[in-house]
Amino acid sequence: MREIIESPLFSIAITILGYEIGKWLNKKTNNPLLNPILFDICFVILIMKLLGISLETYNIGGSVINMLLAPATAALAVLMYNQLDALKKNMLPVLIGTSVGAISAMTSIFLMCKLFGLEENITLSLLPKSVTTPIAIEISKQLGGIVPITVAAAVFTGIMGMIICPIFIKLFRMKESVSVGIALGTCSHVSGTSEAVKIGELEGAMAGLSIGFAGIFTVIFSLFFL
Amino acid sequence: MNICMQIAVLFFICLLGQSISLVLPFPFPGNIIAMMILFILLLTRVIKPGMIQDFTGFLLANMAFFFVPAGVSILESYPIMKDSLLPIFLVCLISTVITFFVTFATVRLVVIWQRKRHHTKKGA
Repeated sequence: MREIIESPLFSIAITILGYEIGKWLNKKTNNPLLNPILFDICFVILIMKLLGISLETYNIGGSVINMLLAPATAALAVLMYNQLDALKKNMLPVLIGTSVGAISAMTSIFLMCKLFGLEENITLSLLPKSVTTPIAIEISKQLGGIVPITVAAAVFTGIMGMIICPIFIKLFRMKESVSVGIALGTCSHVSGTSEAVKIGELEGAMAGLSIGFAGIFTVIFSLFFL
Repeated sequence: MNICMQIAVLFFICLLGQSISLVLPFPFPGNIIAMMILFILLLTRVIKPGMIQDFTGFLLANMAFFFVPAGVSILESYPIMKDSLLPIFLVCLISTVITFFVTFATVRLVVIWQRKRHHTKKGA
């Protein structure tokens, strides 16, 4: 029995199962807090604790899934290419918006971490958390941050943006599509983009482009924190 | 392209990105270089989106799934962060709000400036 539980196939299977249950629950309840990724992480940890699987054993299978992060990040290029027309029309707003947005994210994170007296390695883990998780993971590694903390913070930031930004948009009557889209994509990456798609086509396209550009700018600006 | 070829092409682009990352004089993540390489290949039409869409479609549709194992490793790092949960929560919340408004205001200014320039050009 032990051999089956400790097989890499078992780790992969429970991770897929948890993800599917999480997606189903999210759809059923329509509650952004019931996020499939967070649910899956908790689900896997629960199963590991129940069956006494060590993190090391889980990671033999986990690393296979993890490996696919590389081509998945590269595939973001297809997402950007699909919005080429929208990019050509709005080149300047996208470039200036995402670069200023990336600077403001990193500066505000850095200053607040100092203010709260957070430890250096936690600060470095939080710095890239505004960009899409696969890119944030890479930046965190480079800076010497703690990758799991970056993952949690990036996913959490996405959920926050998804819940809070639509409230601001209504409250302050933010109507201009290009600005709303770029702001959503820059502050809360993929989750923000899914909200932007709900508002309108141009908003969605702008947010989608911002994921990639905000990611690249954050990589570049993070060089100054090394 | 069949699915195996599509996987091979994408893996090759990733390896190329990682190789470039190794020789660069400053740290730059290989996966992001791979993303830029693929973007250039698409722009120059060396690769057409349709050629790799089975694999990229699968990757993009399930993006979130691929970082679950990285998240599960929180088991190991939880002790480091458990005393700082509230500050970490506040940093995430406040920085998201700041970034949203700063980005919105910046783009708004750029759009207004572009419109103005467009109008004066027309008037002249």
